[in-house]
Parts: sequence; structure tokens; C-alpha cells
Amino acid sequence: MGTLHYTPSAYAQSNDTQPARLITAAVAGDLTAFEQLYRQFAPRIFGLCLRLTGQREAAEDCTQEAFIAAWRALARFEHRSEFSTWLQRIAIRIVLQGRRGLRVAREVAMPAAGLPEVPDPGSSAPPLDVERAIAGLPEGARHVLVLVGIYGFSHAEAAAALGVSEGTTKTQLHRARGLLTAALELEAP
Amino acid sequence: MTERPPRQDVPPSLDDLLATIPCDVEPPARLWHDIVFGIARSQRHTRHLALAASVACAVLASAVIWTVLHGGPESRARLPLVAVRTTTRGGTPGVAATPAIDAAPSFAEPGDAKYLATRASLQLAFRERLALLDPATRTRIEASLAVIQRAHEDIRKALAAAPADPLLQQLFESTWHEEFDLYDHVLHATQLNVAKT
Repeated sequence: MGTLHYTPSAYAQSNDTQPARLITAAVAGDLTAFEQLYRQFAPRIFGLCLRLTGQREAAEDCTQEAFIAAWRALARFEHRSEFSTWLQRIAIRIVLQGRRGLRVAREVAMPAAGLPEVPDPGSSAPPLDVERAIAGLPEGARHVLVLVGIYGFSHAEAAAALGVSEGTTKTQLHRARGLLTAALELEAP
Repeated sequence: MTERPPRQDVPPSLDDLLATIPCDVEPPARLWHDIVFGIARSQRHTRHLALAASVACAVLASAVIWTVLHGGPESRARLPLVAVRTTTRGGTPGVAATPAIDAAPSFAEPGDAKYLATRASLQLAFRERLALLDPATRTRIEASLAVIQRAHEDIRKALAAAPADPLLQQLFESTWHEEFDLYDHVLHATQLNVAKT
């Protein structure tokens, strides 16, 4: 990565939010372009980190590290996958690397900005119990459930991202669903 | 054709519940600042590191003020890089109204005339509003402002020696944002008091 530029490049100034153009500008050191990428993709990455870690502060740390790592590695992004997919892979790797350093005192995954503190019975927002139940799952089961059950990864993608076999992700998903069904007192399928 | 039972009679399945969980969650506003400092740290220039630390202190000072005035940093909004102008509204003699934030073009440079005029009018309004706060809060705000302005000054001196240094420009802009944010927090926090007078 080159040096930082305060002055926005022509790409960033044109309000063009196409990742490819912003990436090109950011690779040249345009921090304004990178900020636009951040504004576009940070909610997805933060949400992913929040659900994977089950801890708000850890999710903030992981999101921060993911974007710093992305800045450093941006020149090596080859456009063979979607930028969001590439970013998610970085974030997952950082969550996995940092999991041993996470605080033992588990903080229940607080619904972050955008989720109501008290669920509105008339709204379609998820009951907080679901978020808490997911945060309380064993780590391996939670990771697979979040990736496959919430973020739409295939088992092959989740297995590659987590560094496990597809058989493991299927087993963990089955386990997670069973634990959640019991925790939420749902009818077993 | 058989009618399906009303939706509310069907207990939600696990898949229904999972589908209601939003994938996107807005991160705290200060996170971008933290990322900028992380990037600055990764440049591994000692001089830049010292200045980045100075800016980090300024950010912390601003965050403290946000906590003092609003009770928590999560909902802290970052001021966009736009021109800010102060307007005086009727009915509040001697107290400038909250500056209106326009979608005017960004300043070309933090030192240009437009910026300096805006900063001066904001400072005037800020000083007037500061007087409305209790002494303890006022002391904390003034201490935080001093930290921010010290960082700003340190970077200004470094920029004088290396005016084209892009990282210094970025750090300078960060302290500039923090100063504007602090003014903005105080002006908004005291808006209610002004409205009551």
C-alpha cells in the first residue's frame, strides 16, 4: 500500500461508489476512496463480526482490524471474487485468529444500533432472545450457524472460511439448530 | 381452495426467526477514526506515530465530551466534511443559534479563508453556549478542547516543515474534525437550554 492521500482523487470526488473504481483509487493511497468503501461495507462486516464473536467490543476490534488488513492487502485484491466476499473472508480470519484473546466474561451480544432495545410486537425485528441464544451457542456451532444460517454461505464456503471440512460444518449446523430449538422452546421440525 | 390459517396462529420456525436477523449492523461512528489511526500506525514512521498518538488523545478527549454531554459514545455522529455556517435566529439575543450544517462543497484546505471564518463563528457560538453549562462540565470540555488544539498545533508545525506530507495532512484533518465535533456536541447539547430561555 502506498502513502495516504488527504486530497480525494477524481474517483472519490465523482461520488462513484462502484467498488472497483474506489478500490483502484484506494490502492493509489486515496483514503477518501477507502472511507467510501468502509461506509458501504462496514455494516455487513460489523454485523458478521458481532454474530461470530457474540461480543460487541470484540466485534469492533475485529472490524477495525479487518479494514486495516484490507487497506494493506488491497493491492493484492484480484477481483476474482466480490469485494464484499473478500472482506468477509478477512474478517472471519481475524475473528478466528483473535478468538483466544476474547474476554472470558461473556458479554451477551447486545443488539447494536439499528436493532430496537425493546422489540416492538408489531415489527419484523428479531426477538432479542434469538440474538442472545445465538451468542450463547458453543463457538464452533455458532460460527457455522452464523455463516450458513444467517449470511447465506454454502457449506463449502463456510468450511473453507473456517478451515474445517464440509462434514464438520454440517454436523455443527445440525447441533446449533438443535440447541437453538431447545433454547427458544420451538417445536422440533 | 382451502384457505391457509392466519399467519399469527402458526408458531415461527427456527428458519423464520433466523430470517428476521439483519445481516447489516451499523458500527459505532468512532470506528472509522480508529481505523485511520491504525492505518497511520502501520506506516511505521516514528514522527507520524507520535503525531498519530497526539491525534488519538484528541479523539479520546472528544469522546469524553460526548459521554459527558450525551451519556455514551455509541450514537455519536461524525460531522461530514462540509462547510458549516452560523446563523442567528430571532428570540435568542446574545446567544448564537446552533450552526446549520449545509451540504456545501468541502474546504479545499483546512487553512483557507472559508474554513477560518467558519471556525471563528463556531468558536464564538461555542463560547457563548459553554457559559450555559455547569462549571464541572465546562472545565472538562475546556480541558478536552486544549488537548485537541495542542494536537492540532503540533501537526500544524510538522506540516510547516513538510507541507506535502499526505499523512500529516490526514492527521491534521482528523484533529480539525475532532474540534468541529466538539463544538457541534456542545451546541446541540445546549440547544434545549437556549430554546427554554
